[in-house]
Amino acid sequence: MNGKTRLLITWIIGIIIAIALPHFVGIVYTNVLVTFMMDATFALTINMLLGFTGLLTFGHAMFFGVGGYAAALALTHIPGFPLIGVIFFSAMAALLLGVLVAPLLARVTGTAFAMLTLAFGQLLYVICLKFREITGGEDGIAGYDTPPIHLGFVNIDITDPTNFYYFALVVLGLLTFFMWWLTKTPFGTVMIGVRDNALRVDYLGYRVKHTKAVVLIISGTVAGIVGGVYALFHNLVSTDGVLTIFVSFYPLMAAYIGGVASFFGPILGAAVLHILDELTSRYTERVDLVNGIVFILVVMYAPFGAVGIWWSIKARLFKKAN
Amino acid sequence: MNILETRGLYFDYHGLEVLFDINLQIEKGERHALIGPNGAGKTTLFNVIIGGLIPRRGHVIFKEHDITRATPHELFRHGIGRSFQITSTFTRQTPFQNIRSAILSKRGIRFNMWSLVDNLHDVTKETDDVLKRLNLYAERDFPASALSYGKNRSLEFGMAVASDPDLVMLDEPTAGMSRDETHAAVELIRTLTEGKTLVIIEHDMDVVFSLADRITVLHHGEILATGAPDDIKNNQQVKDAYLGETEV
Repeated sequence: MNGKTRLLITWIIGIIIAIALPHFVGIVYTNVLVTFMMDATFALTINMLLGFTGLLTFGHAMFFGVGGYAAALALTHIPGFPLIGVIFFSAMAALLLGVLVAPLLARVTGTAFAMLTLAFGQLLYVICLKFREITGGEDGIAGYDTPPIHLGFVNIDITDPTNFYYFALVVLGLLTFFMWWLTKTPFGTVMIGVRDNALRVDYLGYRVKHTKAVVLIISGTVAGIVGGVYALFHNLVSTDGVLTIFVSFYPLMAAYIGGVASFFGPILGAAVLHILDELTSRYTERVDLVNGIVFILVVMYAPFGAVGIWWSIKARLFKKAN
Repeated sequence: MNILETRGLYFDYHGLEVLFDINLQIEKGERHALIGPNGAGKTTLFNVIIGGLIPRRGHVIFKEHDITRATPHELFRHGIGRSFQITSTFTRQTPFQNIRSAILSKRGIRFNMWSLVDNLHDVTKETDDVLKRLNLYAERDFPASALSYGKNRSLEFGMAVASDPDLVMLDEPTAGMSRDETHAAVELIRTLTEGKTLVIIEHDMDVVFSLADRITVLHHGEILATGAPDDIKNNQQVKDAYLGETEV
């Protein structure tokens, strides 16, 4: 059995498990799985910037939030708005925000980039907090109808947790596949080049700023779609839920804990965080404290995260085998 | 015909004058060396030409384009390749991936988000050809950080010439190399810049005299002499200022 068939079999088993899972774990954990998938995909969008282009962002919640608000506003004000329209609307809103902020953000690097994303993120947070007439301020927007999936003659009601799980699985799975594909294209190699040595990339004829802007816009748009899925899932979009600094930090933690050096690391990180949440909340309310300690330990002792630990184990086994 | 010209370049670092009225003329197809004692302004001149330093006065002309204020990616697209004095490759990537980045850019494949890069067989083939010419094919898939110093310098040089530029600018390509490595590097530079124009900054006089068709000597920020290697060797001014110390 060669590597390709083994990979194919792994994927088929994975997909079968993903499809079967909600029938075994019950409604509560089906919903936990949906939150996990959203966090994981959101963490992947951050890792496109952090792990693949070398850009640390503290304000990615702005894209997530704008996507969420766009979905909520469309569903509140336009009667009978279709589901595909919600996704499209979220994407377009985040894309627009990306086109607005990317030209400025692409000019700076390092700490300045991180601080500027933080500034834009907080700016949007305050704007949404103050524009009560449109955004509902702290209370947010709630109580809109969730449209069903139209499939010709049948309508699938996604307010049912299992159905929503499948809906999220397909949408977020496609987004993940798209991001993974992107890292394997020529553009993906330019992203990695910018991370490793931006000056050399410039002398090789690539426009570094344009590249960074495009990555930012793509990453933001995908984050916006995840925000739209969030709006459909929670039926509530508020500044505290989608725009606070913690919304930006959570996927960053997931990316670091899972491993920024690999594509799938952030998914693993999101899984670790969710399992940790689940376990610690049984004993204490100080979930964030435990998360924080784990984060510090990872940064200090395993800078490449869980994936990095796995790599070093594999390297050691390989040495022993030889 | 001149492929590269500097016209009346003046440059100062916040008032400290470094270059005075530099008029350099590089002919198409020649191998031109810039030499001079430490502090003569060689590296500054190099950086004014292609390294992002803007002169106080004067212009840099390449193939009839004014490139005085051109950005690095514009220089590449005009057909200029450069190497760095301190090796500046993608150390976390393999030599193959390093060279492939140059090949992709040369072919204008810069924002392609739909094809898998490993499936671009033309690009793979051309990259492999370049690696073979650089004697790096055996190290094709090692991380660049694991290569020896000499191999890394070859890769550095390779990234300057992989895109088949008209003008190759090399900043001390043999710095820090052993005698044998230097010999190999000179041969490599000679074969891979065949038919191209080469401008090289170099301290090693053996390298300079075995490689260059013409030499420009810089001294205190001014051009002291320009000419064929033999003329430079016998130039009394140059001997007094520079070569005399090293006994050529």
